[in-house]
Amino acid sequence: MSKSKRTNYKMDMTAMVDVGFLLLTFFILTTTFRPPQVTEIILPESHSAFKLPDADVMTVTVGKDGRIYLGVDSENLREKIFGTEFRLKAGVEVDVNSLAGLLTKARISNPKLRTVIRSDKDAEYGTIERVMDVLQKTQITRFNLVTNLEK
Amino acid sequence: MADVDVSQSKGKQKHSKKKSKRIAVRIDMTAMVDVAFLLLTFFILTSSMNKPQTMEINLPPGESKVEVAESNLLTLRVTDNFVIFWNIGVEKPAKIAFKDLKKFLEEKNKANTRLITLVKVDKKAKYIHMVDIMDELNIAGVSRFSLAPMLESDKKILEKL
Repeated sequence: MSKSKRTNYKMDMTAMVDVGFLLLTFFILTTTFRPPQVTEIILPESHSAFKLPDADVMTVTVGKDGRIYLGVDSENLREKIFGTEFRLKAGVEVDVNSLAGLLTKARISNPKLRTVIRSDKDAEYGTIERVMDVLQKTQITRFNLVTNLEK
Repeated sequence: MADVDVSQSKGKQKHSKKKSKRIAVRIDMTAMVDVAFLLLTFFILTSSMNKPQTMEINLPPGESKVEVAESNLLTLRVTDNFVIFWNIGVEKPAKIAFKDLKKFLEEKNKANTRLITLVKVDKKAKYIHMVDIMDELNIAGVSRFSLAPMLESDKKILEKL
């Protein structure tokens, strides 16, 4: 009696476990971790289909409150530009006036750097204009604006 | 689930060799499966499927100045509350709704292939307004446009309307 009860509990979970592992492998292989954010940014939407490059990206983040953060994706470069204590920080808050110097420094360290502007959709255009002005003055005439794909 | 019952197999060793062999094959996989599903949930939740898109902008180098004939210059002025005005050359600016902008741009560029669009966005406008305008320009296939700051004189022109 007791034995038959025990067998009743058994369920063949092989298929489920198989599917589970398959999904697990899929997600492990395809996942790319979201890069850490300096501030909460709600990106604007556009129909543009250019993908953001994977490496050598320098990000100028403009928050909703108009604060400007500069970040680069490589830790070594970060250390070179901002100092050792910022090695693990995604971005450093910068002043508009000091932005030009830092951009030049970063570009000298890695000439392949692509500049992208990542701004909150409700940020004031005046701030972006000032940032673009600085970019133009530092001879960065080609840059990208990060957006989400509009559906 | 499947588990190795060690005490039972030891106790029944004498009774039948067949049975102990069958039990010995079973391995307790519960913990492994638990961990696997835990990882699975973690990866499902943390993975971001959509990569952000970007919009490319090319600015002319700082010093260069481009001379454009007045008749070839379409100015779009965007005020802080997202009202769009357009004019060609020194004509009087006229209002245009955002949803008509794409069609309007396509028509104007068809009529004059040498048209250059100048976008002036108010400093107090939101960033998304500028992105929206640029997006419409891109969709309309206008590749030659430039951004210029909205000056006080521009604001005065719009105020007079």
